[in-house]
Amino acid sequence: MLATLFASLHEWLIAPFDYGFMRRAMVAGLALSLAAPPMGVFLVLRGMSLIGDAMAHAILPGVALGFLLAGFSLPAMSLGGVLSGLLVAVLAGSVSQMSGQREDAAMASFFLISLAAGVMIISLGGSSVDLTHVLFGSILAVNSTALLLIAAISSLIVVTLAVIFRALVVECLDPLFLRGQGVRGSLVHGVFLGLVVLNLTAGFQTLGTLMAVGLMMLPATAARFWSKRLEGLIGVAIALAMVASTGGLLLSYHLSIPSGPAIILLAGVGYILSALFGRHHSLTARLRRRAAPLGAPEPH
Amino acid sequence: MPEPQPARLALHDLQLAQGHRTVLQHVDGQFADGAITALVGANGAGKSTLIQGITGTLKPVAGRIACTIPKSRRAWLPQQLALDLSFPMSVEELIMIGTWPSHGALKGYCAAHYRRGREIMARLGISHLAHRPLGELSGGQRQRALIGRTLMQEAELLLLDEPFANVDAETVEVLIEVLRDMADAGATLLVVLHDMEQLTRLADEVVVLAGGHAHWTTAAAFREMSAAELIELTSPLKLPGVAAC
Repeated sequence: MLATLFASLHEWLIAPFDYGFMRRAMVAGLALSLAAPPMGVFLVLRGMSLIGDAMAHAILPGVALGFLLAGFSLPAMSLGGVLSGLLVAVLAGSVSQMSGQREDAAMASFFLISLAAGVMIISLGGSSVDLTHVLFGSILAVNSTALLLIAAISSLIVVTLAVIFRALVVECLDPLFLRGQGVRGSLVHGVFLGLVVLNLTAGFQTLGTLMAVGLMMLPATAARFWSKRLEGLIGVAIALAMVASTGGLLLSYHLSIPSGPAIILLAGVGYILSALFGRHHSLTARLRRRAAPLGAPEPH
Repeated sequence: MPEPQPARLALHDLQLAQGHRTVLQHVDGQFADGAITALVGANGAGKSTLIQGITGTLKPVAGRIACTIPKSRRAWLPQQLALDLSFPMSVEELIMIGTWPSHGALKGYCAAHYRRGREIMARLGISHLAHRPLGELSGGQRQRALIGRTLMQEAELLLLDEPFANVDAETVEVLIEVLRDMADAGATLLVVLHDMEQLTRLADEVVVLAGGHAHWTTAAAFREMSAAELIELTSPLKLPGVAAC
């Protein structure tokens, strides 16, 4: 009985990873799951949840140009993506500074232009299959070069985030204080946006430009239902992303469904379950609302 | 009589404007070290504008602000808090940010600094709130936590814009005591105040802003002023040597 259970568990959870492409896909997913959710947590806390989406569109024309010039070369497409993403971020930032318009308005304008330009470039030079690949990715086609690139970018993001962490926290909370200490808030903000672009570029190969945002935002928004502390939010978000990316891969393997949407949908299920059953502000938390009696010790 | 030591914060023929509208001009004077100066004046007289000028967020149109206190030791508590209180951070974490001048963005906090943080919280009567998120604090508790950060920062210049608004009476008592101690330790404090009783208890000097000009006086002299004198002082037409606006 127990043996059959173990056997079927093995068949479901372990055996698929006998294949090289599944192992590479899993490692790529785990690397992305380490780097993307912390970005998402900060985006949510800064009230910029939709900026990730905008940036995802912004990298598209660069990816498309890279594809046109160098064919299906991941480094060329990634470089193009990073450059066009940064260009849009800088343009949106300077337009909003010059015109006094809110940054999100400028960002919205530029990402629509980028999306149209990207789709136009791909259709001029490629087929609709290529377009599908860039838009939706294919994690099962990750080769060693792609894996190295994803791991390198993810590491760079985690290390840079660690370096700017305190500055970023203070910049979110009290920009005036940071300014008083001689740190330019716009610099911290710029580096952070740069990391978001890098992250999306690392994600597009596996999940596609559009769905790379999912691994960034869904775990972060779900984590809000579980923790009230920054470390907690980041920890929960990373854990959720890891479960979603590995679980999504397994589902895609067993049910023969596309991997990218499977991963993001699983993260989406995580979000909905969190909204229903999470510890804070969820539906059940609201129904079961209790307060500690007066004089009870502070929970830490 | 020996020449008094020049103060670390002085204004020289300062002109400040909001957009194209001049709010203050020909402001000359200095803020004594180790003294608490109250800024008073009607709404729109330029109290917040002057604070913005001193913090450097508003560039002077003319004249200059001479301040020899290092930037990292200046602290500003604005009236409408720029604090995002939904940000998940505890009181203790907020106070520890005050170590920035010595720790910057990277250096880890050591036990001695945590101990100092706990002492500050005890001094302000917020030890029991150490782990509470900022979003769950009352106005008074929040103000105590923010003053705690300036204590950790060892601020030598403290600009407070109506620090006692939306704050309970007990907090006012604690803060008055703490601010007085900071001044006694040599810090320069500028406080925008409306309440005469608080002014009497807190301020050493008073700067009255009216008609686009600033008038320096001592707190004692300010208290002695009759209503008529106050009106005369705050009327731009009657100020000696000042042209009508």
